[in-house]
Amino acid sequence: MKRTNFVLFVALLLCSAGAFASDAVPAAKQKKPIALVGGTIHTVSGGVLENATILFEKGKITALGMNIAIPADAERIDVSGKHLYPGIIDSYTNMGLTEIGSVRGTIDFAETGTINPGIRAEVAVNPESELIPVARSLGVAIVATVPGGGLISGLGAALMLDGWTWEDLTLKSGLALVVNWPAMVYTPSPRARTTKEEWQKQRDDQLKALREAFASARAYMTAKTAEKQKGVRYHETDSRWQSMIPVLEGKIPVFVVANELSQIQAAITWAEAESVRLVIVGGKDAWLVRDQLKAKDIPVIVTDIQAAPSRRWQGYSEVFTLPMRLHDAGIRFCITGDGSASNSRNTPYHAANAAAYGLPKDEALKSITLYAAQILGIADKVGSLEIGKDATLIVTTGDPLEPPTVTEQMFIQGKKINMTDKHKQLYEKYKQKYGQVNEK
Amino acid sequence: MIQRCCILFLLLAITAQWTSAQTAPTVGLRENTPTVHSFINARIVVAPGKIIPLGTLVIRNGVIEAVGEKVVPPADARIWDMKGRTLYPGLIEISSDIGMPKPPQAPSGNPFDVSAAQQQQQPERPKGAAHWNAKMHAEFSADQEFVPDSKAAEKLRSQGFTLALATPQRGIFRGTSALVNLGDGAASDLIAKPKVAQNVSFEQSGGFTGGYPNSLMGIIAFIRQSYLDADWYRKAQDSYAKNPAGQRRPEVNTALAALAEAAQIRMPVVVDVNSDLNFLRAAKIGKEFALNLWILGSGQEYRRIDAVKATKIPVIVSLNYPEAPSVDAPEEAMNVTLEELRHFDAAPENAGRLLGAGIPIALTSSQLKDPGTFLAQARKAIERGLNADAALAALTTTPAKWLGVENRCGTLEPGKAANLVVTDGDLFGEKTKIQDVWIDGNRYEVKAIPFADVRGVWDTRSNFETGTLSLRGEIDKPSGTLRVKGKDLRLGSVTLGGGRIAISFAGDSSGTIGTVRMSATVNDKEMFGILEAPDGTVFNWSGTRKEPPRDEPDTAKPKKSEMATSPATFPPTDYGRVKLPEQSEYVLVKNGTVWTQGPQGKLLTADILMTKGKITKIGSNLAAPTGALVVDATNKHISPGIIDCHSHTAAASINEGGQAITCETRIEDVLDPNEIWIYRQLAGGTTMANVLHGSANPIGGQNSIVKWRWGGLTEDLLMAGAPPGVKFALGENVKQSNFSVQGRAARYPQTRMGVDQLIRDRFSAALDYEKAWNEWTKDKTKIPPLKDLELDCLLEIVKGKREIHAHGYRQDELLLLMRIAEDYGIRVATFQHVLEGYKVADVMAKHGVGGSTFSDWWAYKIEAWDAIPGNGPLMHDQGVVVSYNSDNDQLSTRLNWEAAKAVKYGLSEEEAFKFVTINPAKQLKIDKWVGSLELGKDADFVIWNGNPLSTYTRCEQTWIDGKKYFDIQEDKLMQEQITKERAALIQKILASKKTTPPATGGPPARFRRPNEDGQQSSKEGLSHETN
Repeated sequence: MKRTNFVLFVALLLCSAGAFASDAVPAAKQKKPIALVGGTIHTVSGGVLENATILFEKGKITALGMNIAIPADAERIDVSGKHLYPGIIDSYTNMGLTEIGSVRGTIDFAETGTINPGIRAEVAVNPESELIPVARSLGVAIVATVPGGGLISGLGAALMLDGWTWEDLTLKSGLALVVNWPAMVYTPSPRARTTKEEWQKQRDDQLKALREAFASARAYMTAKTAEKQKGVRYHETDSRWQSMIPVLEGKIPVFVVANELSQIQAAITWAEAESVRLVIVGGKDAWLVRDQLKAKDIPVIVTDIQAAPSRRWQGYSEVFTLPMRLHDAGIRFCITGDGSASNSRNTPYHAANAAAYGLPKDEALKSITLYAAQILGIADKVGSLEIGKDATLIVTTGDPLEPPTVTEQMFIQGKKINMTDKHKQLYEKYKQKYGQVNEK
Repeated sequence: MIQRCCILFLLLAITAQWTSAQTAPTVGLRENTPTVHSFINARIVVAPGKIIPLGTLVIRNGVIEAVGEKVVPPADARIWDMKGRTLYPGLIEISSDIGMPKPPQAPSGNPFDVSAAQQQQQPERPKGAAHWNAKMHAEFSADQEFVPDSKAAEKLRSQGFTLALATPQRGIFRGTSALVNLGDGAASDLIAKPKVAQNVSFEQSGGFTGGYPNSLMGIIAFIRQSYLDADWYRKAQDSYAKNPAGQRRPEVNTALAALAEAAQIRMPVVVDVNSDLNFLRAAKIGKEFALNLWILGSGQEYRRIDAVKATKIPVIVSLNYPEAPSVDAPEEAMNVTLEELRHFDAAPENAGRLLGAGIPIALTSSQLKDPGTFLAQARKAIERGLNADAALAALTTTPAKWLGVENRCGTLEPGKAANLVVTDGDLFGEKTKIQDVWIDGNRYEVKAIPFADVRGVWDTRSNFETGTLSLRGEIDKPSGTLRVKGKDLRLGSVTLGGGRIAISFAGDSSGTIGTVRMSATVNDKEMFGILEAPDGTVFNWSGTRKEPPRDEPDTAKPKKSEMATSPATFPPTDYGRVKLPEQSEYVLVKNGTVWTQGPQGKLLTADILMTKGKITKIGSNLAAPTGALVVDATNKHISPGIIDCHSHTAAASINEGGQAITCETRIEDVLDPNEIWIYRQLAGGTTMANVLHGSANPIGGQNSIVKWRWGGLTEDLLMAGAPPGVKFALGENVKQSNFSVQGRAARYPQTRMGVDQLIRDRFSAALDYEKAWNEWTKDKTKIPPLKDLELDCLLEIVKGKREIHAHGYRQDELLLLMRIAEDYGIRVATFQHVLEGYKVADVMAKHGVGGSTFSDWWAYKIEAWDAIPGNGPLMHDQGVVVSYNSDNDQLSTRLNWEAAKAVKYGLSEEEAFKFVTINPAKQLKIDKWVGSLELGKDADFVIWNGNPLSTYTRCEQTWIDGKKYFDIQEDKLMQEQITKERAALIQKILASKKTTPPATGGPPARFRRPNEDGQQSSKEGLSHETN
């Protein structure tokens, strides 16, 4: 990493953006073709193309390779010496739903109550969130923002990290229904206030509530379908069950948050019984359920690699090596950040941590791009650099999984993204302070 | 009804006999039943190991008169034939809550559980000259508060106890205990010895929001200060008594008076600890104040037996073996740690191992869920290696001696109190039953014997039938058969009571349908009663004894008990080693890329020679001295050990939130060398940390600079020579912005302005304190100033002898603290977090303060809103010494990757890497020993499989003082061994569940960890931000 790259880059960036204090203004739609010329293109799905060109029009990739005919009206941008990657995906976060952790007024990611299938994440996403440009600065272009809390938290959405309104940001709404699987195994504790039996009853009550919610939704769907028949009475709307119909129809998968092995097992048998599409989120013990995950092709969103082993006796690298073991077992997975919006930018380093502990480097890259897109169901648009996909990509000085690398440019659906952020602005502002102070 | 009242009255009258004290007037008729008893034909255990196989014991007026083989019963004695019985000295329970007020309920798991905190915060209004702190009750005296509790006494008697030390249960300083006998009667009769020992407990109550002290380190500081207070109190009272003129009258304080008095006479102090580490912490206090200490143990002492032995402190051993962990389902078993499995396996050997190591012990039933299981638990200890005579001694002669009553109890020697236990066999035998205990010559029945022993063979007859009734089995619960017409009918039930027998059996076997019931009055020779046939016909029947009861030999095979098999490891937990890492005289690391982080920079291929833990040579092709341990580092990178300048790892408590100024507390008092994160951090190349008090208070506790010497004790972790320091904190946490306790008055300060005032006030207080001491030296007959641990620390701070590590965020507060310090002529050593340091980096550089920050955490609270990842580099550019810290157990395992983030801002890799090596060493003023690989420095280094700043690189070996504390290959082996050992222990538990009922002694074998205590509350960043 060259010494002055980032500093220079920031200075240039801020100059081009006008006064340094200005916001990152959402970009205009792509109007004319853009050709990024001479860079190393990491397509992720089709290998690495050296000294290549990528061309995109109206937000879609139209060509990429060595000998590309660049239309006359295209904007040519020289990216020689640079590296191009698909925009990085953080596949489990609450980006847009939170701003300052300690300020209640800025927190919108967990509704009260336990059964909230109608909750939609994207409608409360604040496009002005200062956290969004900060995430973009390390290459994160796409996030899956999900609600939390309760048993059924609601529906997540895939967001593009640029736009004037939440509708602009939404790449896919109704991405998945989030279910938080109850803890299955009683762990005695000196301070526990419940007995094992009481605890087990609470657990069983939660499991029943979950089953009952799906049964009710199914009954509702049946009743509403039956309305079409003659003589069947109208049933008043239940917005909770209404929103679950696409889940029951298999159009929307269920993201079950489950880390402990019996949670994962229970989620699998449950999903089978309910005939819903299952994705495991968390998955710390996924390795212990590998045969079923593999046989049923259930993918795992591995959250927060940089974590302690679940159990004191397990090896210090138990979680670091999980992606490698899942990869070796042929289980589909992707890797997220630590779940918090403010740290979403560090998603690539979670993938790198897995690579340091055995996951092949190219698989680590896929785990935050293509695999993430596939598991989120948005691989038709993002996750790799292929003709026909969205022109959502980053231009960097090197490997985005290494901290010194700078993400210099980002395109989302061909829109040229303003790369400033609150941090760069403050950085530059205080550079100016010291310019003044040290000037004597 | 009238009749029943009479009986009740009669009972009361009998009881009244017991309750009359010697000085009380006689009510009604005098009670003069002779008190001379002679026990003949008894096996007599006079003292542990001293047995009379067949002899006589005579007691008179509650005292043993004679004992021996040839003692002739006095003519006036009531004779008790003790054939088949053994007499033991009455057992002494040396730690009991009998008759004492109950302690408040245990705190909830959630330290912010406001309702729980409030419930506990209803202290009684202090009466008299009470201590200011509601947890200080040194004046409480069991002899004044004891309330006889016949139920509890009966329970203890059932286990052979005749005396118990009634021990107060409330507070940290709990007051003095009293020895009471376990008979019935008035307290004045029962109390055998008042004011035996002072009692101190480490038990926390109230949680984070409770009053001071609410943390382990606060409790320790409070105990230490209280002994200083008591010493001052005595001196102050003496001085004032001699010369009141012109002197300010010292306060009257009953608690300090009691504590001072106890210290004067070296009254024993019993500390109730709840872990092996708290044992050692108590011992440290005992040593500091030369206390005559006994420790009420946790049952874990065997885990650190050498250290326990070295304290030479007598141990009251609890037999509270843990419940078997749940291992039936594999997933349940997975959640049990190796530490817990081992403890379950080894806990019954604790007493035996302590005794074997020569540590004086007494046994107690006090921590058992059901004291009625005590003898069973003791038997288990004996099966697992405790010598039976020693066990008896630990319940008789030893406690008698400790309690200073060895001249009147503990053995069955003439002249001693007539406290004895009558059994039908060996006291610790599985089938043995205690029949009676005698206390001060009064008999207390433990096991009621039926009026008649009906076992044996009886001839029965009714007016139409004769038969044979055979009864056998337990004396109070026999079973048997009735033989009629040459047919044996099995009896369905046989019940005894009130001198009667009732029998029922199925009539079918005799040809009638239904149940036949018969009952009779019975003595040793005959029985007669009625029989009711299923059809309602009633007959008379009778029986005459044909054969006496037969002794049925005990055919149970002696139990084979398997001893614990796990090796002793250091630490005694998961990933402990059988041997501590050893230091080779010479270690030569060859052919690595050496990041010296010193003036030599990065050496592409070099060797490092280390001698006795110090770096002695760095260069190419160094020759290996004879016997050198050579480590090949070809294609590897070698760097100094990583130093984490802000950690709470291994702190058993983090915040003392009970007061705003708590610099009397010390992290070194609560370091937990068993903390697994020590090992995990070594696995990430971290060798050292600055372990800090939390940020709850403007002036918090004293920090500890540690080397992660995994396996050692607390003292082994501390880095010798590191300058002392203290934690300060500013901003949101100390003004308690993000939480409040309902119903509790707001704590000063609630604004940053108040923080300024408070710190300045305490600095001035320290200087005034110094003045007061100087003044006193002029006339030492005057009342001395009170030696105050908090002011001692503050004085060190204002004198520049103690480093300030100040948690702060906003530029205004950073600037403010620097100005306060400058006003007092001192400097702040480091700002911690310092997320807006980049805004005042020029002032910081001028002041000379280091900036220890996160690489990029932000947005978790308002004062972290302007945090930027360029903070470190901007401060660095202005000449501030910058480090990146973790404040988080997990982050501390990968600080090299954090450092790499600075490279983006224009720093070279080596400069960036200094953020976690030499820079934190400089900030902590330990850079002459650590932080870089230079000649003469400590051999603390890491071997990496690549460039340490690359996220693709991992740590392979970590060395401290030339000893290898982590090796990625060894780790693999350890994981395999742990898997094997766990499996073996789990199999053992499963097998034991088949043969014996689960132990009912103690709680589950869970070890409390800081993160379970909810004490990690004021950690910064991300999910840790809870206040």
